[in-house]
Amino acid sequence: MPQDMPPTGGYAQVQYKRNIPARGFKPAYYMIGMHVIMAYGFYKYFHGAREQRELAREKMWSRHHLTPLLQAEEDRDQVRRHYADKAREKELLGTDIKVYNSDRFVRPTFAYTPSNLTQ
Amino acid sequence: MRFHCTFGVNFWTFESFQPNTAAMANREARFNQTVLVDTTPMPDHIPKVEEIGATSAPLLSASYFIGDRCKAYNDDFMKCKDESNGRGEFDCLKEGRKVTRCAASVIKDINTHCLDQFKAHWECLENNNHQLWECRRPEVQLNSCVFDKLGLKKTLPGAPEGQVPVHLRPKQKYAQYPGPQW
Repeated sequence: MPQDMPPTGGYAQVQYKRNIPARGFKPAYYMIGMHVIMAYGFYKYFHGAREQRELAREKMWSRHHLTPLLQAEEDRDQVRRHYADKAREKELLGTDIKVYNSDRFVRPTFAYTPSNLTQ
Repeated sequence: MRFHCTFGVNFWTFESFQPNTAAMANREARFNQTVLVDTTPMPDHIPKVEEIGATSAPLLSASYFIGDRCKAYNDDFMKCKDESNGRGEFDCLKEGRKVTRCAASVIKDINTHCLDQFKAHWECLENNNHQLWECRRPEVQLNSCVFDKLGLKKTLPGAPEGQVPVHLRPKQKYAQYPGPQW
């Protein structure tokens, strides 16, 4: 009894692979494209950040030039209120009192409120 | 409702005008923007000075010119405050008056010579959230007018070498219109 043998010329190929054409570009091109986009973004970002730094410098110097003016006005107002407080205390108590053992200026925690409208 | 008091004070008055609530929290509301202001004038032994009286936008617009003309006074005042060991409020009043007078002179001169440009610039700042980069066109006109008439110049110390200072760049990246501003 002859054994079963392959057909002459062999078996046909078994198709185990899907036969679909590859879509799109090579993966390396996507990688390159991503880096190009990112490089452009970083370029714009760094230039924007530099400009923001200069704008911040401009704002800071503007405030530096104004600080002494604003501070002087505030100090005068504090001194005026301080002398008014002193006069009021003297009128109430009959003598000058010192709260702190120091001759520094201490900004008062509580403000005097006039009993009737002043403004 | 009855109030018991151990200090011998009669609470009938409280009952009379607030009979149904507790006696707490019946203080009148006080609006501190009208009441808190102590208007006692400065004592006579301190010389008077007229305050600057300008609001934030004109001050921002004029700040670099104030800084240019008044640098010596400003530095003197801040140094005095630094060195007076916590008594600067009293001891530096004289320097402070000089600072205020100098700044007021700058504002006055700008108002005399460059009022239109000044007004255009600070009104632009008011309308643009005080963002200087939105107002480069009026700023350039104001700067050139002030430089011609008063000789005061806007300089930006500490800016990197070899670059145009940001206030002189025609293109402003963050402006609503990022192209040439003038």
